[in-house]
Amino acid sequence: MLESLQQPYVQRGLIEILILAVPAGLLGTWIVLRGLAFYSHAVGTAAFPGLVLADGLGFAAPLGALAAATVFTAGTFSLGRARRTGEDSITALVLVACLAGGVILASDVFASGANVDTLLFGSLLLIDGGDIALAAVAAALAVVATLVLGRHWLARGFDPESAKALGAGSPAIDFALLALIALATTAALTAVGALLVTALFVVPAASARLLTRRVPQLQLLAVALAALEGVLGLWLSVETDAPPGPTIATLSGAGFALALALRWALRRPRVLAVTALGAALLALAGCGGSDDDGPRVVATTTEVADIVRAVGGKDLEVERLLEPNTDPHEYEPRPSDVSASADAELVFRSGGDLDDWTEELLSDSGSDAALIDLSEDLPVRLHGEGEFDPHWWHDPRNAITAVEEIRNELAATYPDHARQYTLNARSYLRELRELDAGIERCIGAVPASDRKLVTDHDAFGYFAGRYGIDVIGAVIPSITTQAQPSAGELAELADVIRREGVRAVFPESSVNNRLADAIARDTGASAEYTLYGDTLGPEDSPAATYLGMEEANADAIVRGFTGGERGCRIPAIR
Amino acid sequence: MPDSGNPVTLAATADLAAGYAGAAAIEGVSFRIEPGQRLGLLGPNGGGKTTLFRALLGELRPLAGSLSLAVGCATVPQTERSRLDFPVTALDVARMGALSRLAWWRRPGRSERARAIAALEAVALADRADAPFGELSAGQRQRVLIARALVQDARLLLLDEPFTGLDSAAARRLEALIDELAAEGRGVIVATHDVDQARAWDLVLCLNRRQVGFGAPESVLSREVLEATYAGHIVEIPVNGDRQARGILPPHHHHHEEGE
Repeated sequence: MLESLQQPYVQRGLIEILILAVPAGLLGTWIVLRGLAFYSHAVGTAAFPGLVLADGLGFAAPLGALAAATVFTAGTFSLGRARRTGEDSITALVLVACLAGGVILASDVFASGANVDTLLFGSLLLIDGGDIALAAVAAALAVVATLVLGRHWLARGFDPESAKALGAGSPAIDFALLALIALATTAALTAVGALLVTALFVVPAASARLLTRRVPQLQLLAVALAALEGVLGLWLSVETDAPPGPTIATLSGAGFALALALRWALRRPRVLAVTALGAALLALAGCGGSDDDGPRVVATTTEVADIVRAVGGKDLEVERLLEPNTDPHEYEPRPSDVSASADAELVFRSGGDLDDWTEELLSDSGSDAALIDLSEDLPVRLHGEGEFDPHWWHDPRNAITAVEEIRNELAATYPDHARQYTLNARSYLRELRELDAGIERCIGAVPASDRKLVTDHDAFGYFAGRYGIDVIGAVIPSITTQAQPSAGELAELADVIRREGVRAVFPESSVNNRLADAIARDTGASAEYTLYGDTLGPEDSPAATYLGMEEANADAIVRGFTGGERGCRIPAIR
Repeated sequence: MPDSGNPVTLAATADLAAGYAGAAAIEGVSFRIEPGQRLGLLGPNGGGKTTLFRALLGELRPLAGSLSLAVGCATVPQTERSRLDFPVTALDVARMGALSRLAWWRRPGRSERARAIAALEAVALADRADAPFGELSAGQRQRVLIARALVQDARLLLLDEPFTGLDSAAARRLEALIDELAAEGRGVIVATHDVDQARAWDLVLCLNRRQVGFGAPESVLSREVLEATYAGHIVEIPVNGDRQARGILPPHHHHHEEGE
C-alpha cells in the first residue's frame, strides 16, 4: 500500500509538501488572524504575468513569479498605506491590474495563450531540486520571522489602534508579513498551483483556529494539519490516479468540516460522550429511554430556575440561562445556552418581554423541547407597557400558581419522579405561604401613610399591589431598563418625592444606580437599601433564592419606610 | 489651574487641531495633565474624544497648535467584537505591554513574564491569567488592558469609555483602580459620558469638535458649558433652595428594540 510512495518523484513531492507545511502553518496562522486570506490568494494569482514573462523569455518560472509577487506586494502595501480603508478593495484593484497585464503579455506579446491556464496549476509530482530549495528558504524565513516578529504581528492584529503606543507600530513589521506571505505562496505556486495555494495556506490554519485557544498551539496544529493533509492527499492522488493539488484541496476542506464538527462536539460534552459510547448505547437508549443522566430542563430567568429547582430537588438538573445580577432585558444567548436548550425536554420561561428571546433560541438550537410560559395562567396579572407587566413573581400568590404548574409539567414528563416532585412542591408551597403571610405582617406594621415606594425600575407593581404599598414613581419611569428617563419626568419625580415626604429611594441591584442616587441626593431621601427586581442575587448573597430575594426586598422596604428602625425577618422560611 | 511652567507636566497641548485627511475634527484644544491627576474627557459621540486620543498616541499629527508629551501614553481601548475571538490569554495581552520596552528583535523573557503577572496581580486578575481574553467579563477585560499599560510602565493612560457595558460592581471596581493609578503618580484620561463621575475627578475637558472648557470640574461644569458640550441634551432637576442639579441624558449604548 505504501509502495507507491517509494517512487522518486513521489518522494520529492513528499519532501516538498512537508517543507511547505511549515510556512503554510506558521504564516497561515497570521493570514487567518489578520484577515489576509484574500491577499494570500491574490498574491499567488497575481504571479501570473511573471509566469508568462518567464515562459516567454525563457527564464525560471519561480523567478518570474517572485518578481510579480514583489510588484504586487509593494503596490498593495503602498496604496493601502496611502488610503487606510478598504484593504480588500485595494488588493482586488492591484490583482486586476496584474491579471490584465498577464493576459496582454500572454495573448499580444508572446502569443502563448494556449498554455496560460496551465501556468496557474502546479504539480507536486513535478518537483525539482530548485523547488525544494525555494520552499526550504521560505520555511526557514517563516520560522525566524515567527520567532522574532510573531509577537509584534499578534499585538498589531489584536489591537491595531494601540500598536503604536505598544511599540509595534512600525509599518515595516506589516510589510515583512506581506512580503513573507508573497515569498511562501510563490514557493507553493510551483507545487500546488496558484488556485490551490489557499488550500495550503488558509484552510489548515482556519481549521486549527477552531480547535485551539492560543497562538503557539494554533501554529503547531496548523503545521501538523498542513503536513498531514498534504501527505495524505499526495498518497491518495497516487493511489487513485487523481491530480494531487485538487486532492489536497478537497482533503483540507474535509479537514475543516471535521474541525467544525469536533468543535461542535467538544462544546457539548453529552454529545461527545454519546459518540464515544457508540452505537451500543444508542441501541440501549432506544429501549430504555434516553434520560440516562436524569431529567434535565432549562429555565430562563434566575427566579424561575430557583423555583424549578425547589420543585425538582435532587431528581432534576436545571440549566439556567440568565446569570444572577444581570439585566434580562440585555441578554444575548451564549453557545452553551443553545446547546443546553437543544438537549432539554422542557423549557420554562418567565414570560413577557423579559425573555421573549426564548422561542428564537429554541428554534435556532433545533430543540424540540416543550416550552412552558409560566406567565400564562397567573391569578394576578398587571398591565404594563408591553402586553402585561412581566415581574409577576413579586406577588407570592403568582409564585404559588407557578409552582403548581411546574410540578404538574415535571410529573407528566418524568412520571418516574412524580412522587418526589409532588412532595417537594408540597413543602415549598408551605414556605411560599409563610413568606406571603410574613411579608404581609411586616409591611402591615408600617403605617399606611409611610408606605411610599420610589425605585429606579418599576418592577415592583405586583409587590406593591399585594402588600398595600403606594408606588410614587420610578426613577426609570418605564417598564424596561432599556428606556431612558426624560428631563421632565425626572423633575416631576423629584417634586413628588419632596411633596409626599418620601423617606427612601430604592435602587435595583442589577441596574446602574446613579440615577437613583442622584434623585436621592437632590431630595434628601435615602438610597442605601437596594431591591432585587429582575434577577436573584449572586450565590453567596441572602437573595440567592427566590424566598431569600423576597424576604430581602421586604426587609429593605420596611427599613426604608421606617428610616432604618425596623426590618423584616421571616424565620419560618428557613 | 496648574502652573504653566511645571516641569513634570505629563502632556500638554496649546490650541491643538487634529483630524483626518487635512480636515480638523477637533480644534482649539489647550489642556495639561500632571502626575496623579484624573481627567474626565466629556463630549458627545463624534465630539472628537477619539481624535484627541489618537493625536496623543502619535497616530495623528497636529494640524495646528502644539502637542508635547513628556512620557509615553498607553491606551485602554474599547473591546471590539473581533478582539473577543482572538486566541490570546489575559497573560498574553498583559505581555504585549513589554514590546515597547524591548528592542524589536529581543524576545520577552522571564522578567517580562514576571512583570506581566505582577501587573495582573495589581488589577486583581492573577487568578485569571490563563483565561482566554474573550471569555473574561467586560470589566475584567478593561482591567487586563490596564495591566498591559502597567507592563508598558506608561505614566499616562488613556481610557476610552471604559465604563460602557459594566455593571455597577464592576464600575465601582474600575473607579477604585483609576484612583489607585492616580495615587501611584500616573495621569489618567478617561473618556466618559457620565458627568457626575467626572465631577469627582481632578480635571475635566469638555470637547464638542472644539474645546468647550477645561479645568477643575467645579469651575468648568456650568450649565452653559454642558449645553455647549452636549448641545441641548441637558436634564435639569430642580431641588430645594437655590441650587439646581443637572444631568446629562445617558446616551443609548444598546440598540435593542424598545418594548412594544
